[in-house]
Amino acid sequence: MGRMRQAVIAGGWRTPFVKAGTDLASADVLELATVATAETLARTETTASTVDEIIYGNVSRPVAYHNLAREIVLALDLPTSIYASSVGMACASACVAITDASDHIAVGTADAVLAGGAESLSNVPITFSPSLARALVRASQSKTLPQKVSSFAGIKLSDLAPVAPGIRETSTGLTMGESAERMAAINGISREEQDRWALRSHTLAAQGTDDGRLGKEIVPVRRKGRVLSDDTHIRRDSTLERLGSLRPVFDRAHGTITAGNASPLTDGAATVLLLSEERARAEGRTGLVAIRAYAYAAVDPADQLLIAPAYAIPVALKRAGIALSDVDLIEMHEAFAAQVLSTFRVLEKNGAGEIDEDRVNVMGGSIALGHPFGATGARILMTLANEMRRRDVQFGLASVCAAGGNGAAIVLELLR
Amino acid sequence: MTIAEPTAIAPAGARFEPGQAGPDGQDGIGRIVIDRPNDSANAIDPPLLAALSEAVSAARDARPAGLIIVSAKPGQFVAGADLAMLTQKLSASEISVASRAMHAIVRAIGALPFTTVAAINGNALGGGFELALACDWRIAADSPSVRIGLPEVQLGLLPAGGGTQLLPRLVGLPRALDLILNARRLSARRALRAGLVDEVVHPASLERAAFDRARAGRKRGLEGGRTAMDRATTWLAPARAIALRTARDRVTKETRGHYPAPYRAIEAIATGLAHGIEAGFEAEADAFGELATGPVARNLIGLFVLGLRQRRGALSGLPKSKAPESIAVVGAGLMGSGIAQSASLAGMSVRLRDIDEAAVTRGLGTVRTLTEDAGRKGAVDRREAKRAIARVTGTADWSGFARADLVIEAVFEELTLKQRVIADLEAAVRDETVIATNTSALPIADIARGARRPERVVGMHFFSPVHRMQLIEVVRPTAASDEAIARAVSMGQAMGKTVIVVRDGPGFYTTRVIGVMLGEAARMLDKGLAIEEIDNAMTRFGWPIGPLALIDEVGLAVARHAGETVATAVGATPERNAVQLLADAGLVGKRGGEGFYKYEGKKRVPNPRVYELLGSSGRRPASAELAPLLTAVFVNEAVRCLDEGVLRSATEGDLGAVLGLGFPPFLGGPFRYADDYADVAGSSLADRLRGYADIAGPRFAPAASIAAGKVFYP
Repeated sequence: MGRMRQAVIAGGWRTPFVKAGTDLASADVLELATVATAETLARTETTASTVDEIIYGNVSRPVAYHNLAREIVLALDLPTSIYASSVGMACASACVAITDASDHIAVGTADAVLAGGAESLSNVPITFSPSLARALVRASQSKTLPQKVSSFAGIKLSDLAPVAPGIRETSTGLTMGESAERMAAINGISREEQDRWALRSHTLAAQGTDDGRLGKEIVPVRRKGRVLSDDTHIRRDSTLERLGSLRPVFDRAHGTITAGNASPLTDGAATVLLLSEERARAEGRTGLVAIRAYAYAAVDPADQLLIAPAYAIPVALKRAGIALSDVDLIEMHEAFAAQVLSTFRVLEKNGAGEIDEDRVNVMGGSIALGHPFGATGARILMTLANEMRRRDVQFGLASVCAAGGNGAAIVLELLR
Repeated sequence: MTIAEPTAIAPAGARFEPGQAGPDGQDGIGRIVIDRPNDSANAIDPPLLAALSEAVSAARDARPAGLIIVSAKPGQFVAGADLAMLTQKLSASEISVASRAMHAIVRAIGALPFTTVAAINGNALGGGFELALACDWRIAADSPSVRIGLPEVQLGLLPAGGGTQLLPRLVGLPRALDLILNARRLSARRALRAGLVDEVVHPASLERAAFDRARAGRKRGLEGGRTAMDRATTWLAPARAIALRTARDRVTKETRGHYPAPYRAIEAIATGLAHGIEAGFEAEADAFGELATGPVARNLIGLFVLGLRQRRGALSGLPKSKAPESIAVVGAGLMGSGIAQSASLAGMSVRLRDIDEAAVTRGLGTVRTLTEDAGRKGAVDRREAKRAIARVTGTADWSGFARADLVIEAVFEELTLKQRVIADLEAAVRDETVIATNTSALPIADIARGARRPERVVGMHFFSPVHRMQLIEVVRPTAASDEAIARAVSMGQAMGKTVIVVRDGPGFYTTRVIGVMLGEAARMLDKGLAIEEIDNAMTRFGWPIGPLALIDEVGLAVARHAGETVATAVGATPERNAVQLLADAGLVGKRGGEGFYKYEGKKRVPNPRVYELLGSSGRRPASAELAPLLTAVFVNEAVRCLDEGVLRSATEGDLGAVLGLGFPPFLGGPFRYADDYADVAGSSLADRLRGYADIAGPRFAPAASIAAGKVFYP
């Protein structure tokens, strides 16, 4: 194979990130995904027929959509020739969508790819218990009424209760919060340190909103005559005292993790347009941000569930041929303040270098902005690319941790 | 060509194909294949009738196990009678012959001793549907190209191939009246629900399904509808009488008696149900001959044919152009969102802009409502309606405009505002993007003054409500390039509209002619005439709405502005008239609840304030001369437009007046009416106008072509 081509982010937009169960509760995940995707197409002035592919992440998948990405093509009446696939790596799903897109462009199987992710945590698929589900399938396959009735023999009352999507790691039986408590304990992260990070997130997010930097990446969702244009999680009245007064949720006796220093359940979607550098330049586009390198890593979920980015980051930097000190801006997903701070510690401990906190999440992170699982990776990359352009800095780093012990790190480079 | 003797005509366009014997030796299923040479629509003409007749005889002699009737044309069954047959100068009895020939075929198919099935793969309209009605069963393809119905009344005719007889017997009298009198064309699924067809299948399965039914199906009697109520209304004389009377009353209310066809259709239905199907056939044939040779059908068919030809005519002298795939609209008001909605239904992707999110959201809401309505009414498939809604996106900035092949600005009618929008657009769009400005009166050259590339700025005058009005007036300023005009025409045609191209100038064509007529109507108030007297005289004459009520609809401010623009156009100084007086007094029109009328809910009463303002009694009744006079003023101005080169042709003048302004269609349009004037009114139009000019002033003086006695349709 000859020299690989380079993929660039030509632009990206997202819906406002809205607290689950509130203003966007009646919008399903496809509607959110179509808004972000249609606007990214329009705002990058891209003719749909020149797009090759859509790759989209979504974690809590509605049973109605076998392939959400393809539903976006069809719902927006984009050219039916645009093939589409849905990808999953829990909270790093959109990272996978974007690095896959980058790979397809690099090897030349695509020139233009829409990649991103969406999540409606207001609308998680609630299912039947396995035994009731099997009985229903049996009944639908049987021909006579007595057969249909007998399909339900052996169903207990407890089987009738609906089942919500798992919040515990299957392999450890621990919730995400419990796992984060472990990380805090292992790395010696205090409650106060966590609350400080959470406060910082809200403060910077409010600044980023007020000076219009965050607003630039948001497209409105219009529903039933109402317009939603603002992120709804950001707390302007947050103080260390208030955060300190919250009770730990996961370990009431000894815990440090509260609703205040963890990311909230959120509805939202984000899409970016990736182009081959040649095409972007031929079209006269400017402010191109290249996917310079990336790495994924994975750890034992029973150890530190969300620490994998600390292992992915050095590899990605090495692949990019730069050091941590060369990185001007970092966007790190904030599942928990404890996880962010643990990542810093482990990076340092492993000799990858010291993180300059002033360069991290300069407009706040998932704690303040919210965390629609499937969309977060795309949000982080568009925020990073936009701020790199604004500050005119060369290198940016994004990282996202994910359930199951996975982690992603992506290095961006502003092309000049 | 004569059709006096169908047997003397060489049959062409249909053939019988005997079926292959089946594997166990039983007879196969025969097919009659309709394939009129050189006509993708399979329209019915005398050679096709002769060929059908022979094919049915051949089928009868071959005695297959069953018979299916299919079309060899992809996506097209049989579209109805060839209108060329009706535009020749034939006598009523000569035309009746064609109807009787069709009856003979219908009768012969009905008498076949085996099961007959029509496989409807595309439009089955008029004679095409009657052919299908003659069969025992009808199966339609589930395809958007299928429309089924008996729409003859729309052309001033009636279903004359047995349709008025077979349809009530199939679906019952009430539904048959609705379908025939409203000229409905149903999609396959709606036709199934209405009982017009028995099964709807995927196009690829159509012939198989027809074949299976011909083999397994039985002969079928027609009982007059599915419900007992339908059958009672169809067969019990007293119930039937009520249904027929109600239908007649409704026709009178809707057409004011200007259109004979619906009455003749009701009459043929009544005769057939009372005296038997043969008597009904006779009534059909007689009525068909008389209607087809009468002036109303001639004018309606004439307009229809003009409309078809205009698809090419609109582009005459212009380069070939592709309809835009992507457009953008500035202004998300009623007009802008209407344009966006029509364009998206036609398959284009649309970016809709307004100045703030609230306005954008309102506009998108309008698009959604209109499109969902179209889905509910069956005008489009519901899933397609959903996609059409998704094709429209909104924005409060200029993003997405660089993708557009054509942009339309539909902001408020104010010159400086429109000039500013053009400047903004030039910064936002690509160099080759055509910029269309939607205005009803402002000269395009004024709007485009200061444009960087005036050659791509054209006028596109849409009519409100956009989703219902069939006309677009493309306005050509001298600076515009042929390519830009061609692009605008293609865009309008892709939206399914009839497009006329007119020269730039104040009021162009349509606003100018209607403006002159409205101004004249407003003057009549000065003479003490009553508001409702003027309007009623005009609606009785055949106009869809009275001139003063129309001014209230468009709003006094717009009407005043248009009036002043038009006055300049015709070289008059704008004079004080009722419209200005009312506008100055702060009256708004219908939207404000008060104009020439006062509006309360759905009711309206003449506004006494108008008489106070005018110092008029408002008591004088209208003379019989009022409506002909105002109509003559309209016609005269239209002819002036042609004489001055504002119009390219009389055809475009007629289409524009009928489709855009509600000129009575049964008169065929202003130019057709000018040609017919002596026949209709008993004196020449030139003399009549000179007479008005002598009394009321030189503005009534006949246009040059009228004075010269020019015939517009030789």
